[in-house]
Amino acid sequence: MLTTIAQAVVNGLLIGGIYALVSIGVTLIFGVVKIVNFAQGEFVMIGMYITFFLATSFGIDPLVALVISMLALFFIGVLLQHFLIRRVLELGDMPQIFLTFALSLLLVNIALLLFTANYRTVQTAYSETAIHIGAINVPLAKLIAFAVAMLLSGLLWMFLHGTDLGKAMRAAAQNRDVAMLMGINPDRVYCVAVGVALALAGAAGSLLMPFYPAYPLVGQIFVLMAFVAVVLGTLGNITGALIASLMMGVAESLGIQFVGADSGLIVVFVMLLLTLALRPNGLFGGWSR
Amino acid sequence: MTEALVIRNLSRRFGGLRAVQDVSFAVNECETLALIGPNGAGKTTSFNLITGHCRPDAGSVLAFGRELVGLRPHEICAHGLARTFQVARPFGKMTVLANVMTGAFLRDRRIEIARQQAREAIDFVGLAAKEHTPARELTTIDQRRLELARALATQPRLLLLDEVMAGLNPAEIDQAVALVKKLSQRGLTIVIVEHVMRAIMAVARHIVVLDHGQKIAEGNPREVVANPDVIRAYLGTGYAEPTAAGESHC
Amino acid sequence: MRRFVSQGGFWVGALAAIAVALPFLVSSTFAIDIFIRVLLFAFIGVAWNLMGGYAKQLSLGHAAYFGLGAYTSTILLIRYDVSPWIGMLAGGIVAMLASLPIGALCFRLRGPYFAIATIATAQVLMLLFLKFRDFAWGAEGTTMPNLGDAPLMMQFDGKAPYYYVVLVLLAVGLAITYWIERSWMGYYLVAVGEDEDAAEAIGVDALQIKRNIYLVSAFLTALAGTFYVQYIYFIDPNTAFSFNVSVEAALVSIVGGIGTLWGPVIGTVLLEGTSALLQSWLGGGHGGVQLTVYSLILIAVILYRPAGLIGILTAAYDRVIAGTKRLNKVPLDD
Repeated sequence: MLTTIAQAVVNGLLIGGIYALVSIGVTLIFGVVKIVNFAQGEFVMIGMYITFFLATSFGIDPLVALVISMLALFFIGVLLQHFLIRRVLELGDMPQIFLTFALSLLLVNIALLLFTANYRTVQTAYSETAIHIGAINVPLAKLIAFAVAMLLSGLLWMFLHGTDLGKAMRAAAQNRDVAMLMGINPDRVYCVAVGVALALAGAAGSLLMPFYPAYPLVGQIFVLMAFVAVVLGTLGNITGALIASLMMGVAESLGIQFVGADSGLIVVFVMLLLTLALRPNGLFGGWSR
Repeated sequence: MTEALVIRNLSRRFGGLRAVQDVSFAVNECETLALIGPNGAGKTTSFNLITGHCRPDAGSVLAFGRELVGLRPHEICAHGLARTFQVARPFGKMTVLANVMTGAFLRDRRIEIARQQAREAIDFVGLAAKEHTPARELTTIDQRRLELARALATQPRLLLLDEVMAGLNPAEIDQAVALVKKLSQRGLTIVIVEHVMRAIMAVARHIVVLDHGQKIAEGNPREVVANPDVIRAYLGTGYAEPTAAGESHC
Repeated sequence: MRRFVSQGGFWVGALAAIAVALPFLVSSTFAIDIFIRVLLFAFIGVAWNLMGGYAKQLSLGHAAYFGLGAYTSTILLIRYDVSPWIGMLAGGIVAMLASLPIGALCFRLRGPYFAIATIATAQVLMLLFLKFRDFAWGAEGTTMPNLGDAPLMMQFDGKAPYYYVVLVLLAVGLAITYWIERSWMGYYLVAVGEDEDAAEAIGVDALQIKRNIYLVSAFLTALAGTFYVQYIYFIDPNTAFSFNVSVEAALVSIVGGIGTLWGPVIGTVLLEGTSALLQSWLGGGHGGVQLTVYSLILIAVILYRPAGLIGILTAAYDRVIAGTKRLNKVPLDD
């Protein structure tokens, strides 16, 4: 029994690292640009397909592909901010919500057209390897994913606290007007913020590929998890999102273990609704104008 | 004279900031009271506490004999208290007439009656020529007029005006002062937050001065102006506060 | 003013006449099927628009009510032999009841978080119905019993009767919208949509007005759900609680003109028309084409015409009117 629980907790923590990459992206965009990006999960999906094709066509290992998918998604993020999001920033809720929502629909359906709904998987040398710690089984691919996810989160933290651009970003997140008065160019800061957020989603995609199939709708579970984690961790708070993501991973894993394999999604949604019901004040701070 | 509004020991904190601290004052019916003080003194927060947009941590607000703390803003409005916001908040895509009719529906749900009452209020503030203009196309000053008309259309007994004269030129201030006086003559009780001293002197017989969330003086205009605490608040450290700290908490 | 109303009345009359005559003019079953889909989604859009358009409560979970309507009538029909006509009303009532707790939860949230919460409620319902194997047939779903031509059981020979049923539904939805738009409720809804705090300050009970319009919106959406499963003779959780229903309800209103009487109708005609054309060009089996095109149209509308395409139509109409007026030398003041 104890082993089962410990195993479920370990599984949850490992996948929670991936959730963290996605949630940190959502929370970064929300904090700096004040937009909830409904399409964040689809960028994970893009990262997965990039990794898949690099692995199957050129034999590039997903961990190497990670660099390429992060760069590609950073670039996409800059373009996204510059050409689309920027144009709805001064508009109301409807355009802001439905722009990224439409983007999410668009990306899912383009993927469906290009790649069909089939599951794509990548086998790596370490896909089947596992480390045994006592009775607990730790798959190597998931352990690597978790470690890299934590490393990237740490790098982001250092970027936000140690560089001028990172500090400017935090200033812009705190108060847009004051940041502009301080001579920060908001367009550039916003572009970098969205770029970094998408790069994290791309990293999540690459890290998932050795043990998780790619398909057009794969992003949805991740973005929903991210929404819950972001709300739990208080909007715009990166450390909060990280901790909440790990908790979510564990909660989901325990749910699957003890309620049933098909209950993972129900657990997620119920957690989302409970969070929204019990913590609406955390949200109101950000959304009442 | 009976008291229209009695505020007792009203307090509210925002985190570590004591926005309003143990404030008490009363307004008699048909009287105009001015609430003044430097930026960040807690004037707008007091309005928010009175009108239910924000809940006090402690204290009571009694209006026409009824406790308002715990009521929601629309209930407080139905009880006869109407307010304007410091920055006007018109319903942008509605016309001037529709905006004011929305206020008038509180007392009568029939379109024709509401329209007629809305027109009266619009005439009163002098916006009749722009009745069919969408509110978002109005100038800032006209938006404030509109907001006043919308508040009046709810047929209040007590009107809370939050800096309605900010940014007006002297001629416009005179117009606004005349308007407030006319409202007062109609029997409305008015609480006015204002920075324009000339206007305050012209409309208010009674002044309450707030500073750092506390009441530091109260009395008729002459007394208040001569009060050393008030002078210190305005010319001393209080005036050097950054305005970015804002007054519109809640 | 009076002139405008009578002209509007003329156009509505003409449109209604065409709509009624359509099944006599077009005999192709394929075409009638498309018309039925257009009317159905226009109706769902109208139901969504009451809440999403006028009060700006941007729900992405209307599939919850569509599904509840569909399941209520189907369960009543198959388990208790109750006519879907009664089941339809029962479904509407179930949906209204469901909207109360869902509203209580979601209305405290604003903007994107309202949208997310509504998505979650619809998904939870779908997952629950997937689990109710004994009571609601689980994931496999069930087909409707075929009763032949039984109008009292909402089953008809041929497609034309279905067309008229959904046409009546749409007419009812539009009439309700028209009536609400012109009453105090319409003013209150738009006020809440524009600025909730300012509305509360002039005596609008924002929570109550949102709750009330949600009841109406849920009720109407549930009627559409019953109709749809009766029309396709099949129900399963993925059909009844399809996320696409939630999306399309919002989409047609936004594309056509959010918060306008005719917006959802215009939006549906455009989107479903495009989709029908695509199908006839490409044939079936291209999963994703339809929603790809929809999302591109949606992005274009948001960037270039956030008020919806109805603006283009009314502007063109005004130009035509102004043009004829100039020709006839009629003075411009009415």
